[in-house]
Amino acid sequence: MSLRMMRAVVALAGATVLTAALAACGDSDSGSGGGSKTLHVLIGANTQYPAEQQAWMKSTGETFKTQTGATISWETFASASDELTKIQTSVVSGTGPDVYSIGTTFTPTAYSTKAFVTLSDADWQKIGGRDKFVPASLGISGPDQQHQIGIPWVSRPFVMAYNTELLKAAGITKPAATWDELTQQAKQLTKPGQYGLAIGYKDNFDPWKFIWGMSTQAGDPIVDGKTARIADPAVKKAYQTYFGWVTTDKVVDPAAVGWTNPQALAAFAKGNTGYFPMTSATAANTLDAGALKGKWAFALLPTVPPGATSRPANGVEAASILSGDNLVVADYSKNKDLAFQYVKLITDGPAQLQMYKTFGVLPQNAEAAKSLTSDPKLAPIVEAQGKSVATPFTGAWADIQIALTNAVVQSIPDLAKGSISDAQIDSRLDAAQKTAQSSLDRAK
Amino acid sequence: MIDDRTTTRAAPGTSGDGTAAGREPVGRRRRGVTQQQRPLWLLAPGGILMTLVIGLPLLLAGYLSLIDLDQYTLRRWLQAPFIGVGNFTEAFQTGLLHSIWISVSFAVISTAVTAPLGVAAAIVTQNAYRGRGVVRAIFLIPYVLPSFVVASVWRTMLQPDGIVNTLLAKVGVTGGLWLSGPKSYWTLILVEIWAAWPFIYLMALAGLQSVDGEVHEASALDGANWWPKLRHVILPYLRGPVLLACLLATLSHINNFTLPFVLFGAPAPDDVNVMPMIVYVTSFQGLRFGLSAAMAIVSLLLIAVPLFAYLRALRLDVHEDGRAR
Amino acid sequence: MTLSPTVPRRRAAAGEAHRLLPRPLLVIITLFLCAMVLVPVLYIVLASLNTDLGVAEGQFWPGSFSGTSYTKIWTTANLSTGILNSLVVCGLVAVASALLGTITAYVLVRFSFLGRVTILRALVGLQSIPGTLLLLPVFVLFSSAGNYLGLTVIGTRWGLFVAYLTFALPFSTWVMVTYLRGLPRELEEAARTEGASTLVILFRIIAPLSLPAIVVSGIFAFLLGWNDVLFASVLTSPETQTAAVALQVFGSTQEGGALPVYSQMMAAALICAAPVVLLYLIFQRYLVGGLTAGGVK
Repeated sequence: MSLRMMRAVVALAGATVLTAALAACGDSDSGSGGGSKTLHVLIGANTQYPAEQQAWMKSTGETFKTQTGATISWETFASASDELTKIQTSVVSGTGPDVYSIGTTFTPTAYSTKAFVTLSDADWQKIGGRDKFVPASLGISGPDQQHQIGIPWVSRPFVMAYNTELLKAAGITKPAATWDELTQQAKQLTKPGQYGLAIGYKDNFDPWKFIWGMSTQAGDPIVDGKTARIADPAVKKAYQTYFGWVTTDKVVDPAAVGWTNPQALAAFAKGNTGYFPMTSATAANTLDAGALKGKWAFALLPTVPPGATSRPANGVEAASILSGDNLVVADYSKNKDLAFQYVKLITDGPAQLQMYKTFGVLPQNAEAAKSLTSDPKLAPIVEAQGKSVATPFTGAWADIQIALTNAVVQSIPDLAKGSISDAQIDSRLDAAQKTAQSSLDRAK
Repeated sequence: MIDDRTTTRAAPGTSGDGTAAGREPVGRRRRGVTQQQRPLWLLAPGGILMTLVIGLPLLLAGYLSLIDLDQYTLRRWLQAPFIGVGNFTEAFQTGLLHSIWISVSFAVISTAVTAPLGVAAAIVTQNAYRGRGVVRAIFLIPYVLPSFVVASVWRTMLQPDGIVNTLLAKVGVTGGLWLSGPKSYWTLILVEIWAAWPFIYLMALAGLQSVDGEVHEASALDGANWWPKLRHVILPYLRGPVLLACLLATLSHINNFTLPFVLFGAPAPDDVNVMPMIVYVTSFQGLRFGLSAAMAIVSLLLIAVPLFAYLRALRLDVHEDGRAR
Repeated sequence: MTLSPTVPRRRAAAGEAHRLLPRPLLVIITLFLCAMVLVPVLYIVLASLNTDLGVAEGQFWPGSFSGTSYTKIWTTANLSTGILNSLVVCGLVAVASALLGTITAYVLVRFSFLGRVTILRALVGLQSIPGTLLLLPVFVLFSSAGNYLGLTVIGTRWGLFVAYLTFALPFSTWVMVTYLRGLPRELEEAARTEGASTLVILFRIIAPLSLPAIVVSGIFAFLLGWNDVLFASVLTSPETQTAAVALQVFGSTQEGGALPVYSQMMAAALICAAPVVLLYLIFQRYLVGGLTAGGVK
């Protein structure tokens, strides 16, 4: 290699690096050029039905194109954290997807960024009107009727799954309707090689749903205005019941202290557990694939708090958290009208029923939902959807959720040892109360 | 800055020697040629890149730590209120110091164990034999596998009813809880060791290649046995690369987020709430960016101090003549 | 100890003189290390041949062997695009990083100037910066380039390339620094007295001699980009997604009811690891050498 060539190589290398730093277009998603518009949509990746999701995206894109002449550019996120990151980067830079599909429990957080369109009455009309949707579903669209950002899209209410054979063998005719009844039935169902309940104690999301459910049913909504009510007898009872299943009642497999929800589901699917609380319709596939085929059914989660035979006066019949996906439109979007057209398309009856058939998610479209009540297998799920109650709508909810879960995480070593004292529960609740309150204080 | 001005070099005939005894610095000869023809312009490409992609964001992150940036102010972050050291004082109240302590101790222990493993592996694959290529590739596998896969696999194996406990039970030992409680700290170390030792192995491997052929022959001529030869002749060659590897490995352990996150989830058990976890959770789940930037900067500073002390003490950055002492 | 002069000579055939350890010890250590590595890997392989449900139940030995995971992964995730993108970006990063690292290291090692030691220390200091600290600022920077300068960086392979290259540089530089320090100067001096310029010396003398270090720094740079999830998930679009991002889909648990596809994740992980191991097998022959391997003159 001659000297000159050598210089050239180095110069080239340096230039390449610089060019890389400066290179603009080229391989980004084909720039929206010329006339046709593109709508950017962000949805969650469906690992259960990947091929079906691809097909759905394609057919929806085609329908949309016929209707509006614009194409849809799809983007998927892998997990809740992924989505949160996406929201953050988009909000801070003012660029990103036009329409987001976000979990209902994230809607308050999204709302607090003020980066999403607050739907006016006119906007609702563009989508088809508020009445189009199951009334309960609007509970987590915003803090109140005048400030709504979320459009209900699909519903995944939480229910209980139970083993029909095991219950029959134990002489239980109806699934439990109160938490006490559940504990008692679980004891009946527990014998060597068999357990009453499958619980995922180590799941990052499950524990707080139990606590919230039991507390709300007892009249404690966890957040009261600007006050956190965690160091409260109702919440304490909830934790005692939840922990008690594995420590004192011993109706749960001791290994469950290490289980996430999927592991608990897998354990239930093996066929030797009576109940699997805190699951949703998407488990149906897994349950039918294993040893449990044909021997299981869904039921409503208990709606009477532990320690009572009927709900107190200020208790709420919360059969499930308001769970599912909402659609939100970004404030920075330059295609808001297109976005609303897209939203209308996928919240109309036919599209909603199609999604139910393909993915097993319940429609939030009122008419579509009603048409499904005739299916006996679905009845408990639709009932749960109707009796879903929204979690407190505050920007601090993410922190509160984590605080409630943290109390469980730090208690796991005690659960494994087989006992947890009231004093310990108290101290954990106090810690949670503190963090929750400080988050609420910061909420604007 | 004495070291800056001189370029001592080993006298001819002794640069193959690992010991200091044989070396005579040839005084401070001014190297006329190199002093005048310093191609400093070659530093430009790297310098520009690093200033642009690391320097600027770092400054920005510094600014973020001084403002009240959370989900409520994220949208108009340029107008977020300036709160000076507010974030920093809050950072110290959130158990940050405890987390940093866990991180640093875990990192140091992990490095201490992986270093001999890596060096042993390099030595063992130095001499050619049939199948050595395969063995070398096998050794690399833990480092190649994505971090979250490694963590998922170990998480599954360490379940209360997982394979590890089952095997231990067969030998009559109760495994107990690996992923919560006091043992979780050691679990983290164990898994990190499994995943990260090939790093030291690779660096030691490169270092071993710089050993001259004659060194081997000479010590054979001298009739040196394998252990003294290894200890006094070969290992000194590895000093530089391996010490550097240990330094970088420790830093990477301290900043390793994926492994504890997937192994233990968030929120994490107190015993294993390492610094990257607390920063990530604060930033990406709690959406308190200002606070987490402050936390990260505090930990950065706390780590930088011993770091530079280490560098100075080992003279890794200034010692540049011939073989390391 | 008496030693012969350092004038490079052809290395004699590696005989007993080069043996570092007695044979039995060698075998024991090799076996121990291999076992340590292979047992969990065995679990990964077995899990990839199991069903998703079986793995979730905690089976080590599959209840039933099935290769369906290997076929399912290509539709569940955008793996083929991901692997291709990763190979391109990481390959370029590896080459560029090794190149730039060598050049930078050479200047830092062989020449003295004000601030040299500071730069060296700063390079190490950069390694201690956590990625989570830089994520949002880097994104803001890159997206500002898009908003205000009209340069689309987010979502392009170039953007990712630049980010990874910059993160890998301090490391590559340091690897070369430690290695280059050990090179005797006689060769360079000889060349310089004959009037060779720095660039010639770099390419004809330094590079061939430091091939092992170049390979190692290239490998590390490659792996840094290959396994990175944080920055890739933020800086890429569906078309420019890397394998690591595509793999994330498998690892995440969805709230309530969904069974994470463990078996598929293991299969995908093996598929993603394969290219790297292959590349290593190809390049590891350069990990031998030593100073005498490329004697000039």
